[in-house]
Amino acid sequence: MLETLIEIIAKIVVILALPLGSLPLIIHVERRGAAFIQKRLGPNRVGPFGLLQPLADVAKFMFKEEVIPSHVKPFFFTAAPVIALTFAILPLACIPVTGPFQFMGREIFPEVFRSEMGIFFAFAASALGSYGILLAGWASNNKYSMLGALRACAQMVSYELSLSTALVAMVFLYGSNDIHQMVTAQSGYWFGFIPKWGFFVQPVAATLFLVGIFAESNRLPFDLAEGESEIVAGYHLEYSSMKFALFFMAEYIHMIGLSALFIILFFGGYSVLPGMDMLVDLIPGSLPIFQLISLVTKVALMIWFFVWVRWTLPRFRYDQLMNLGWQRLLPLGIVNLIVTVLFVYFRN
Amino acid sequence: MMIDILITLFAVIFSLVVVFSNRTVVSAFSLLLALLCIGGAYFQLGANFLSAVQVLVNAGAIAILFVFVMMLINLEHPVLNKDKNKFKLILGAFAILVSLGVLAIVINTNLESFSKDFLLDNSMKTLFGKLFEVYYLPFELATMLLLGAIVSVVVLTKQDKEPLE
Repeated sequence: MLETLIEIIAKIVVILALPLGSLPLIIHVERRGAAFIQKRLGPNRVGPFGLLQPLADVAKFMFKEEVIPSHVKPFFFTAAPVIALTFAILPLACIPVTGPFQFMGREIFPEVFRSEMGIFFAFAASALGSYGILLAGWASNNKYSMLGALRACAQMVSYELSLSTALVAMVFLYGSNDIHQMVTAQSGYWFGFIPKWGFFVQPVAATLFLVGIFAESNRLPFDLAEGESEIVAGYHLEYSSMKFALFFMAEYIHMIGLSALFIILFFGGYSVLPGMDMLVDLIPGSLPIFQLISLVTKVALMIWFFVWVRWTLPRFRYDQLMNLGWQRLLPLGIVNLIVTVLFVYFRN
Repeated sequence: MMIDILITLFAVIFSLVVVFSNRTVVSAFSLLLALLCIGGAYFQLGANFLSAVQVLVNAGAIAILFVFVMMLINLEHPVLNKDKNKFKLILGAFAILVSLGVLAIVINTNLESFSKDFLLDNSMKTLFGKLFEVYYLPFELATMLLLGAIVSVVVLTKQDKEPLE
């Protein structure tokens, strides 16, 4: 009983500490990356390479005055950032950071919430994240906030469809919805050097999914929700200090969660990186550690990709966004799904 | 057991709020919470897939459209059409009849065997096998029910024609 309790608490601590602890680093990478791409220096004064800048920002957020404007609906106004952050963190509970392993005679599954339908639960939880944004826009009682929230919501609902078609295609292809079995199906190599990752089998689904997660996390080129040249700052216009920071954190954690899902579906999840197998053979019992390192590396690369795209591509216009979602990606996703189903049917 | 009771209680409370609240946005969010409670009930019964789909489709997509539309057209305090007519009476009677019918079916079914047979085996293959073979007719009838609901909503909310000024 006590051991189970310790196990659960340890899992929760690890799952929470990894993204929350790396959050300042990610924000730093984003700012320095932006500066690098735009040939600027970026924040480099506080600490070595400006690494302490995020801590200074946190201190600033904590001590700033928390303004609740008189025209807002206070209950929903306060609830909105909490809801956004909660539903950003929840999907992480279903994501395994290593494979199942033995520890002190117990078999341990590393995800907090172990279920065969884990991937669907992760998606369900992340889909609810748009309520936080919607509520924030409505409770702010400000037309710019409202417009931002409506845009974000319409965009998330539209792109969730093509995202789901990609997800379902991959579930058919792997023949399972259990994350561990999906990862097992992707371990191994073709011709000895190409990893059997889903990306090489289903590049169309991977592209759909990638576009989908950019839209879901409201990142450029899909950040119409906060298009600063059109609607000031969008849904978080009226928010200040820690409440604003919660939205900020929610965005980045949402990014981490969706990246992890993308990697599980298309880049082998926690299966070790090519070339790491030798190291695993060298040190017995080190497989979970290398799996963790592999997953973290892959997610870090994904985050860098997010930063890279953000400072490379311009924002879509609203009609372009809707055309892309409904007229291009959704039909493509459905055709891809049908082809995949036929392929799986005739393969068996 | 305690969790089951709590979930049921919350589901009933939020459903009542949906119907009786004067503020549409509060209604919509109560609907969301009620749907989440039903998802939780599925989960408690061991139907993991149904639970995930309930949250993903009903709470994540359909309820959000309700909230979206309400916010879009700013329905803070809706004008309710309160005059009585014969059509509403017939529809109301029909709704009560259907509810009683569902209740009768639920009471007459042996729920123990049903849950063991259908819900506890949570693999998708079994679920869809049952849905498209054994329970095909009820499944199609449920879609007819939805169609009926859509038509009745259109009829109920239709404003009387007023001459243009």
